[in-house]
Amino acid sequence: MSANDVIIHIEGLGKTYDEGKETEVKALEDVNLDIYRGEIFGIIGLSGAGKSTLVRCINLLERPTAGRVFISGQEITGMDEADLRLARRKIGMIFQDFNLLEQVNALDNVCFPLRISGYTKLDAEKRAAELLDRVGLSGRAGAFPSQLSGGQKQRVAIARALASDPEVLLCDEAVSALDPTTTIQILELLQEINRELGVTIVMITHEMKVIEKICSRVAIIADSHIVESGNVSDVFRNPRTDAAKKLILPSGGVEPFDGNGRLLRLVFDGTTTDKPIVANMVLSCGEPVSIVAADTKQIDGKTFGQLIIQLPSGTGSAERMMAYLDSENITYTEETDV
Amino acid sequence: MFDSKFLGLIATGFLETVYMTVSASLISYIIGLPLGLFLSVSRPEGIAPNPGLNRFFGTVVNLLRSVPFVILLVAAIPLTRFVMGTSIGSSATIVPLVIASFPIVARSVEASASSVRHGVIEAAQSMGATNMQIITRVILREAVPSLITGAASSLITVLGFSAMAGVCGGGGLGSIVINYGYYRGETGIMYVLIVILVIMVQIIQEAGARLSVKADRNTKNNN
Repeated sequence: MSANDVIIHIEGLGKTYDEGKETEVKALEDVNLDIYRGEIFGIIGLSGAGKSTLVRCINLLERPTAGRVFISGQEITGMDEADLRLARRKIGMIFQDFNLLEQVNALDNVCFPLRISGYTKLDAEKRAAELLDRVGLSGRAGAFPSQLSGGQKQRVAIARALASDPEVLLCDEAVSALDPTTTIQILELLQEINRELGVTIVMITHEMKVIEKICSRVAIIADSHIVESGNVSDVFRNPRTDAAKKLILPSGGVEPFDGNGRLLRLVFDGTTTDKPIVANMVLSCGEPVSIVAADTKQIDGKTFGQLIIQLPSGTGSAERMMAYLDSENITYTEETDV
Repeated sequence: MFDSKFLGLIATGFLETVYMTVSASLISYIIGLPLGLFLSVSRPEGIAPNPGLNRFFGTVVNLLRSVPFVILLVAAIPLTRFVMGTSIGSSATIVPLVIASFPIVARSVEASASSVRHGVIEAAQSMGATNMQIITRVILREAVPSLITGAASSLITVLGFSAMAGVCGGGGLGSIVINYGYYRGETGIMYVLIVILVIMVQIIQEAGARLSVKADRNTKNNN
């Protein structure tokens, strides 16, 4: 893609709390990232990795201590307060705990960004009603947040974030407080908004299933750094770092049955083969393997399967099996200490 | 003792007490509301941190709050004379009442304002709201139930102060208690007035609690 398509450009970004003091904490260090216009970009990491700080540095809710952030070519890190406020209107944001005004109803919540940017009450209410309609809440305009479910609250928050026609929507753990069914509904709504309005979406999450469901590209953040980034399917097929491996393995981690046999992670994407690979491998090598874990995922509309097997510990048998997989062009990685 | 002269006395005292309490509270809020908001937003974690001014106003508020009201009442006499021309009567009493009450109001408003969830304020910032918009459209709106509760308790405090002001010729029910109950030893009158004051406090408290619940939209049984 050409540089023109970059909507968020992050360069050498760093955030250190209590710089120079004994309590100094480096939340982010030397983060470089390009997010393209119109994509859904995921930033994933375990808690404490720095992902929330990173998203807050994009709209400067937190001031980075190093580096620069550009949005649509404009350096947001160099702006004064007044320009920053204007720039922020083009960057919507939704949060894990919704952060709605609790004392005003859904309609007035959506009116908020419109009123502060100079809309009259009447115009704001008209546009807010359209937005509530857009997120599937047309009947609940008069409801107060306490009367809405978590999913409905997040819909109000999405409508509110869309009110100022943002180019970018930042989602900070936006589905982490929701149950699995609601999570999927909200993710589908976000996908729809991305598709129909062309809003670039940045998803911050600690859950791989969120990334798999809607993101096209992903950055993995660990220990204040971006350790790996790329297309979601590539990262899934061939994770290079421990952080990435940890995130994509079936939830709950993987334990070998006994301490000896090596663990392999096999990935199938449906196009690889339609042969019964494991069965054939066992037959051809004459030794059994244990299946430790297996699951399938939908990534970018394609079905991926992953299978974790423990190889027999006898001399040469693991090597024979790996050679067999190589000959069948099966992608696999060896798992150590995950 | 319950003749028409006595009833007239009580009626006048009651009205004077209401007059002092309401006007002193209003003036205290005119000063205390903005001051309390400032104390909240200028905190280190507030939207407009200003450690210097925060400490300055915080100290003023603390100093005024540490002077017992009876002492303040006497100490304020020169100021009261200067402002009102006299130090006696219910209007004059409003001056020390305000001096004693606005710091209490300020702290109460500060507590209400600071109880607004940070996330909601952050959301407003992410939408490009100015600090003034955050104060008027987020903090003041979200804090309404808590502000009402605080107002009821401030009003009760002012009512108590206004009774105390009776010691220095302050007028109102407090004066009647001092003059009749203390100097003349007419305990009957005193008990009647105590009952009236207790009822007033109860009414304010109850009304405050109900208004606060009624105003609070952040509850499931509110339709």
